[in-house]
This record gives sequence, structure tokens and C-alpha cells, in this order.
Amino acid sequence: MRLEKCWFCSSTVYPGHGIQFVRNDAKIFHFCRSKCHKNFKMKRNPRKVKWTKAYRRLHGKDMTQDSTFEFERKRNRPERYDRNLAENTLKAIKKIDKIRSDRASGHIKNRLKTGKVQRQKEARKQLELGIHLVKAPLALAQDSSLCLPKIKVNVSQTQTEENQPMEE
Amino acid sequence: MRTVLKVVDNSGAKKVMCIQALKGKKGARLGDTIIASVKEAMPNGKVKKGKVVYGVVVLAAMQRGRCDGSEVKFDDNAVVLVDKQGQPIGTRVFGPVPHELRQKKHVKILTLAEHIA
Repeated sequence: MRLEKCWFCSSTVYPGHGIQFVRNDAKIFHFCRSKCHKNFKMKRNPRKVKWTKAYRRLHGKDMTQDSTFEFERKRNRPERYDRNLAENTLKAIKKIDKIRSDRASGHIKNRLKTGKVQRQKEARKQLELGIHLVKAPLALAQDSSLCLPKIKVNVSQTQTEENQPMEE
Repeated sequence: MRTVLKVVDNSGAKKVMCIQALKGKKGARLGDTIIASVKEAMPNGKVKKGKVVYGVVVLAAMQRGRCDGSEVKFDDNAVVLVDKQGQPIGTRVFGPVPHELRQKKHVKILTLAEHIA
């Protein structure tokens, strides 16, 4: 039994699932489900199809280089069965999986950080402009405690430098 | 019946047309033997055009279920010509062959094959 990777979307194909297509040059393509198989038949390039792992890795959306990937390399030599080895491997798989997924989500979080800062800035500006929709101007003038506090947004140096040419 | 299959060995024939599927009411599948008529042949080969031969289906575009639950399919339909005993007529087999042949006891074809899928 071997867990293959779908050729199109790179998800694991478990036993009992999917179709294996053998081309005449003896290259074998594994597909996890008919969606991937049909896309393959349409001759679509997985590197251009947004939802595949190939696209995400190519465009830097997902983590590409990490030491945890080394554990998952394909090994062609069958190991002699050893109960201790099997037990330790199962424990290790769980741990490595957790580490890898934590690192991957960290990578995505980092990637989305700059967008968050941008959105906060825009939201603050919008609130300042449209404060009359939130609270009547008269009420604001009368009671200064209702004034919105200044939101401090930490903007990194590189960002401000980038914005300069646009403001020209 | 009437299916034209490619011949992937060097027995001389190029295309054969199935005239009977031995075993199976619904037709022959991957690994089954068929009786075929040679429709196209190389000029000097062991088999000539019009000859009635036996063949073992080695590539089928229809998916065949494996015992682990997965399914395999190949690019086109192809056959290896054999004699009545099941020994291949040719001396070489081109392209991939499925390992379903091992269960059907076509060991000789497997040994001649380049690649077992």
C-alpha cells in the first residue's frame, strides 16, 4: 500500500480512491478524484489552475522550503518490519504533521499581514470621513468624549518609501 | 467484436480486429485473451494479413479495478499476439503492461515487457 500524490492537485490519494492513468510512454499519473482527472483530460496546466498546490507553491502562496518536507521523501526500499520502528514512526508522523501545518499557517499569516495593515489604514480614513453616519456632528461637538480615539497604526519603513512615488 | 486493437509486439502484425472474446459474456477486458483477425501487417513478418490469431489484451482504455480499490486505465487498446498455449509469438513487447497479467499466468509477456505498470 502506498499513498500517492495526485498529479494535478498534489493531495494524497488513499487506497480505494482515484484513478491511475498509464500513458504509452509508461508514465503513470495518479488522480485523487474525477475533478482532477477531467482537468487533466482538458489538458490544463496545474501550474495555472488557482486551486492546485502547484500554483500556490509557484506563486509563493504556500510554504515551499522547509526541513519538514524532507521526512516525506519517496523511499523505494522496503523497511524490514520492526514494531518499535513502526510505533515511533507513527508518533513522529503526528508530530511532524503538526509542526509542518503550524509553519505553513505561519507563512500564510505573514503573507497576509501587510494587507491587514493596509486595510486598517483605509478603515480609519473611512471612519474619519464618514463619522457623520455613525454619530451626528452636533452630538460630537457637544460631547468631546465621543470623539474617536486616534488609532495608531504601525507602518513599516519600506511601505512608506513605496507610497512616495505614487503621491507625486 | 469488431474492436481494432494495436499490436505491441514484433510479430509482424500492426492492427488486429477482435472477432471473439474467450471468456466473458460482456466482452474481453484487460488481461483477457481474444481471437482476432489481422487487418494490417508489416510486409515481412511472422503473421500475414487475414490470419486468425489469439491475443492477450495488455492495454485497455477502459478502467480496470485493482484489488486495493484503485482503478487503472491506459491510453489505448493494445494486444500481444500469442499462440493457443499462451506463449507470445513475437520476441519483444513494447510499452507498459499491467501486472494483472501475472494473475492470468502470462509470465512470458511480463518478462519481455519494458515496463510493468
